[in-house]
Amino acid sequence: MRNGLIFILGLIAAVGLSWAGIVLGSNGQLGGLAPFYDEAEGSSVPAWFPGVAAQGQLVYRGLGCAECHTQQVRRPDFGSDQARGWGDRQSVARDYIYQPFPQLGSSRVGPDLANLGGRKPNPPDEEDLMQLLYKGKGSMPAYRFLFTVREIVGQPSDRAVRITGEGAPPAGSEIVPSADAIALVGYLTNLNTNADYPESRPAPPAAGEEAPKTAPAKAGVANEQAAAKGQPTAQGHPAPTGPADSQPGAEGAKPQVGPSTAVSPDAQPMTSPAQKEPGK
Amino acid sequence: MNSDVTPIDSASRCPLLLLIVSGVLWLLVSGVFSLIHFAQVLNPGIFADCPFLTFGHIATIAENTFIYGWLANAGLALALWILARLGGEPVRAQNWVLAGTAFWNFGVTLGVVGIAIGDGSGYPLLGFPGYVQPLLLASYCAIAVAGVVAWGGRVRPVTYASQWYAAAALFLFPWFFSIAQVMLFFAPVRGVLQAVVASWYGQALWSLWMAPLGLGVAYYVIPKITGRTLRSYEFAALGFWSLIFIGPWTGGRHLIAGPVPAWIPTIGIVCLALMLFHYAVIVLNLVDTSSTSGTAGKFIGFGLLAYVGGGLIDCITGFHGVAVVTEFTHVEEAIKQLAFYGAGSMLLLGGLYYAVPRIVGRPWAMGGLVGGHVGCAVAGTVVLVLSLGVAGLVQGGGLLSAQMPFEQISILTDPWLFAAAVGECILLLGNGFLAANLVATLACTPGAETAPVHAAASLEASAP
Repeated sequence: MRNGLIFILGLIAAVGLSWAGIVLGSNGQLGGLAPFYDEAEGSSVPAWFPGVAAQGQLVYRGLGCAECHTQQVRRPDFGSDQARGWGDRQSVARDYIYQPFPQLGSSRVGPDLANLGGRKPNPPDEEDLMQLLYKGKGSMPAYRFLFTVREIVGQPSDRAVRITGEGAPPAGSEIVPSADAIALVGYLTNLNTNADYPESRPAPPAAGEEAPKTAPAKAGVANEQAAAKGQPTAQGHPAPTGPADSQPGAEGAKPQVGPSTAVSPDAQPMTSPAQKEPGK
Repeated sequence: MNSDVTPIDSASRCPLLLLIVSGVLWLLVSGVFSLIHFAQVLNPGIFADCPFLTFGHIATIAENTFIYGWLANAGLALALWILARLGGEPVRAQNWVLAGTAFWNFGVTLGVVGIAIGDGSGYPLLGFPGYVQPLLLASYCAIAVAGVVAWGGRVRPVTYASQWYAAAALFLFPWFFSIAQVMLFFAPVRGVLQAVVASWYGQALWSLWMAPLGLGVAYYVIPKITGRTLRSYEFAALGFWSLIFIGPWTGGRHLIAGPVPAWIPTIGIVCLALMLFHYAVIVLNLVDTSSTSGTAGKFIGFGLLAYVGGGLIDCITGFHGVAVVTEFTHVEEAIKQLAFYGAGSMLLLGGLYYAVPRIVGRPWAMGGLVGGHVGCAVAGTVVLVLSLGVAGLVQGGGLLSAQMPFEQISILTDPWLFAAAVGECILLLGNGFLAANLVATLACTPGAETAPVHAAASLEASAP
């Protein structure tokens, strides 16, 4: 290699091509993604976080919670995400458009939290999460520094965390969450990705050309699992990855999966397995 | 083979040693944080009252000090050294390198403090807060100036594979680093695009920077210690360009089944398969390493094995049936450690064991520690990667079963994570040997500058 100029240009081209392809390409596809106006509900989704939750996302990021928790529910043929009750559908890009710092995460030492505030039948409430943060559970560390144990002077705090048994405060004292703890819990209880988008519905299984595609898409493990759940395994290739996403306007995306009223009933039975255990 | 101490080495001593010593210090710091990390994995409540030592902080600090502390300092030192030697001139712009190194390490320190106080960015492999990133970029450029000058002002117009890799690593980092900074910190893209940019950056960091730094060392040192020319050298350019052009496209595999367009992981997996060509060239060119016996040869041989093996394992985890088990588990951490520690770090260690005696002008002071380090590094890496891998498979099996609670999974994985912690201890011990040896080598016999030129074999400390 004698020509230094070609060498340098080649290097720049290598970075530039991969950047243009992956980063600019996906930006062109998703950068203009708009919220979806749900005519049935008369509102548009997703919504912005309330202030405390937006603050809480910064706390979540700063503490490094994403080191153990993901926030992305995968499709039913990929792992047990939905069987564990983490969400009724896979996460799609539109779920995150109003999150300043989406915390997708890459490790599951603990459960997925994408839809923590929308768990069925009973999502954890503020009190549950405060107690979990204070005491920890299993491999989840305690975050006691987010709380202050202080003597009750006059009226007890109405935010005091009720802890009984091990870790309970001494008599006459109370455990008060810090502003960070309140923000973090506000964020966690606001994590809810149950909104229904055209691209979040599974492709209609009856569609003729989809049927042969679905069978090879499932590998052994996923198949076994679906069989164990005793439910139909047919799930088409996820819609959000198809051309539907490239349409910035929600209306433009609609025809891709047909009229919403026709698709929803098909999708429902598949995404609500009977043995869901939200308590996990 | 007459690759003895040259005037180029002694004239370049000061900036190179500063980089090397800083790198080894960060290697120890990273090892200590890794141990704290494992203590926390096995005993989650241990630092419940300390806001600085949360699980997320410690893991991020361990990773970022390893990359930006150890790999960067040592890798830059070796890249500059190779470019200076092959360029035929001592390292130029030395004041730039010295100042850049000082500010770079200041930036890394600031970044560690930033993570500890909760300002971390949360992006994988780019964990330092936004406010230290411009400082890191500027100081990196100050250091890399010397490499660009050495490349541009080389005496011989013909260049070698080791030069391509070293120059590419020095030259490319500021480009993708600054792009990632703008798109993640200063004008953040929306929603999941942040994850796409972060995965692209992470892959570029490996394919365009860490891997080229390590391979540059391998291409430079192997012919020197074997005393033979590289086999099938005419393929080296193809191997180089396949890494540089295809490598950065493979990052999307980490987003498989995630809320991103499916073509991103798909392209990633296809490019992983194309990368097999690159690995084939590396094997073809550098297979002679297996016949070497010196310290540098052992480190580099192991590093190349891990590099090629890691690439093959990466390919396998791209399959749907495998990814469904391994995604989000310790297996991914095992593969990362195999790449960062097994390949990147080992190749640089091999380079250091070869380069330091020549830069300092005298052999390693404590030959026994050299042998100890080889043993510890190999054993520690093997134990760490294998136990993390098994822990990950156990974890992946547990995650697949919707009925298995997380408490149960952690009980099943704990013994394996304990084994991984033992591996981390062994690694830290070995790196301690390196640090002690480096101190002793730098401290002893100050008059050795004028000592007679040593024979290559003794410089390499291959005897113990």
